[in-house]
Amino acid sequence: MKLATTLPIDPEQVTAFSKAHGEPAWMTQIRQTALSRFDDLEFPQFERMNYRNWPLTNTQELTGVDSDPKLLDDIEMFHDDAAGVLIQFGKNTTKTQLDPELAQQGVVFTDIFTAEQKYPELLKQYYMQLAITADANKLTAFHAALMNNGAFVYVPKNVVIKKPLQGFYFQDSTQKQDFVHHLLLIADEGSEVTYLENYQTVGDTPNVANILAEVIAKDNSHVHFSAVDELSATSTTYLNRRGYLMNDAQIDWAIGAMNNGNIISDFDSELKGRGSHAEVNVVAIATGRQVQGIETRVTNYGKKTIGNILQHGVILERATLTFNGVGHIVKGARGSDAQQESRVLMLSNRAIGDANPILLIDENDVMAGHAASVGRVDEQQMYYLMSRGIDKATAERLVIRGFLGSVLMAIPVKAAREQLTATIERKLRDGQTTEND
Amino acid sequence: MSTLEVKNLHVAIDTQEEGHQEILKGVNLTMSTGEIHAIMGPNGTGKSTLSETIMGNPTYHVTDGDILLDGKSILNMPVDERARAGLFLAMQYPAEIAGVTNAEFLRAAINARRDDDHQISVMEFLKFLDKNMKILDMDEDMAERYLNQGFSGGEKKRNEILQLMMIQPSFAILDEIDSGLDIDAMKVVAKGVNSMRGDNFGALIITHYQRLLNYIVPDVVHVIMDGRVVKTGGADLAQKLEDEGYAGLRDELGIDVPLVDDHLSTSTTKEG
Ligand SMILES: Nc1ncnc2c1ncn2[C@@H]1O[C@H](COP(=O)(O)OP(=O)(O)O)[C@@H](O)[C@H]1O
Ligand SMILES: [Mg+2]
Repeated sequence: MKLATTLPIDPEQVTAFSKAHGEPAWMTQIRQTALSRFDDLEFPQFERMNYRNWPLTNTQELTGVDSDPKLLDDIEMFHDDAAGVLIQFGKNTTKTQLDPELAQQGVVFTDIFTAEQKYPELLKQYYMQLAITADANKLTAFHAALMNNGAFVYVPKNVVIKKPLQGFYFQDSTQKQDFVHHLLLIADEGSEVTYLENYQTVGDTPNVANILAEVIAKDNSHVHFSAVDELSATSTTYLNRRGYLMNDAQIDWAIGAMNNGNIISDFDSELKGRGSHAEVNVVAIATGRQVQGIETRVTNYGKKTIGNILQHGVILERATLTFNGVGHIVKGARGSDAQQESRVLMLSNRAIGDANPILLIDENDVMAGHAASVGRVDEQQMYYLMSRGIDKATAERLVIRGFLGSVLMAIPVKAAREQLTATIERKLRDGQTTEND
Repeated sequence: MSTLEVKNLHVAIDTQEEGHQEILKGVNLTMSTGEIHAIMGPNGTGKSTLSETIMGNPTYHVTDGDILLDGKSILNMPVDERARAGLFLAMQYPAEIAGVTNAEFLRAAINARRDDDHQISVMEFLKFLDKNMKILDMDEDMAERYLNQGFSGGEKKRNEILQLMMIQPSFAILDEIDSGLDIDAMKVVAKGVNSMRGDNFGALIITHYQRLLNYIVPDVVHVIMDGRVVKTGGADLAQKLEDEGYAGLRDELGIDVPLVDDHLSTSTTKEG
């Protein structure tokens, strides 16, 4: 299969989908414009990542049928401590819950279609306008045209939310259905929020996923954004999270890239405002024969902006994991700081790993640094642990847990940390079992 | 009762600089649980090589001879299996592992010896840990620190003994556990080892200096030089060495090896 360079979809079908969801005319227009622009746009390029043979734009089924919420019954979702919960499955929303006190203060946590109706001003202003634009490339245009579910978070000025808002987003692969999911999170001036999202797949039909998350951090806001991504082996995915930071805003990203299929993950922070700050922590595990390309980019536009990237990944079996770390300091961003560290551990002889630091510095008065390595589990550490009776597989998992720990610890919510720890443990065990075949 | 036998052990290593090098040239040694043996010898004579080879460090290749635990050869067993069979090595240079806490590691080590239905409970583990840390005069926070990460030389040694006390092997080899320790720390370490003494525990204490043996009194003392055990005796042999130096014994036995250092009594090394 190859990337479709023209979209095999009828504009009428897109309009019909939009109407069926009661979308306002401006939204239908965004879709139609994106659709008409698709052919002229380019695919986004990522150094040392090649996805030309992935069916990322081969849309199969935009609408599909309603998803059966019973299929989620057996899936554990840790959210006891949440201030708000949103659960979506395929194109449906199965649960919306928000602390009434927060709702009273004007906090919004709802599905994107409801948001289009109830908060048109905010959506018109921000939905694919500022952080990510529909005409950026073919994959964003695809998204704008075919978005079929999503979430909207709004935190009003100076509101501080202590407990997390948690989104659980399930791709429905019990049927042929594109999973084109959007998140728009707006943290208004002086606000603070902890948001946690988890992507999973139900079913094993091969499907395309195209996921965009836009985080608008306005002046003096602070967003703690954690994600556990666990899409299945039969999903082929483009995932782009992008923060747009205004003056003195901060976003702390903590991302567990635990997907099982081929995926390009593109994590961006646009430090537009003076004094804005992004901390980006990524842990990844690649298993089976999957290819995971992860590009984490911080662009310093504003003066005295700070970007720190820390990515640690582990590869088992025949998987490929590529980390690009991009630190770009734009001319005029005086007094800025761009630091990055990318490390990859390979547990198998057939694993392919790559860690590329890319520094683009167009300003003199700045600080920048990078570290990157691709290596194997330390023999001395293994010998030491095993000399205490710990078997090889367990010793390996201990060393790896230590290696991934720095990022794990950056996740502010205990439930999410535990979920990610459990996922890591499971993926390592599964990978180790086949390793010894 | 368990026995550990080293028979005519020849060990070589391959290094980039020196190529193939024979280090142990036929070591013989037999010990049983209930006994404390000491091995003394000048630097560079193969003491660490012997202990690492018994434990199963893959760097060292056995070219001849055998190592038997309760009459059965362990040469084909990987290091973790030897550990579960009852061997323990307090290492001269323990590895540091970030992200894994001391407590978590100790629990994994204890549970590695138990089947799934008999894993140690958290309560039982903590009580046992607490008791042993008290004997060793260790700060409580050492349990939650990352394994050996940023530990001082002395803390690492104490932590090796803590592992010994938690794991309770049949045979422990202590490789220069006294190096870098001041007299108080050495007493604490000795207290830990002595608390293990009994019918089901044997120890092989490797040291360059006699001093430690004042606190852990051995039943048997072996002297190793140039890759061989050249003399075996009682605790008084250590005292004799202390008084006469390795050169004295070398000359008495007519062995032709250069000694890097002959000063047993310059035993005040720094913590490092
Ligand atoms: N891992 C190793 N790599 C290279 N040389 C080694 C290694 N281990 C031991 N040797 C060499 O073997 C000899 C004996 O060393 P060792 O067993 O450490 O002696 P001791 O513990 O008695 O001081 C020395 O010449 C030492 O350089
Ligand atoms: Mg030594």
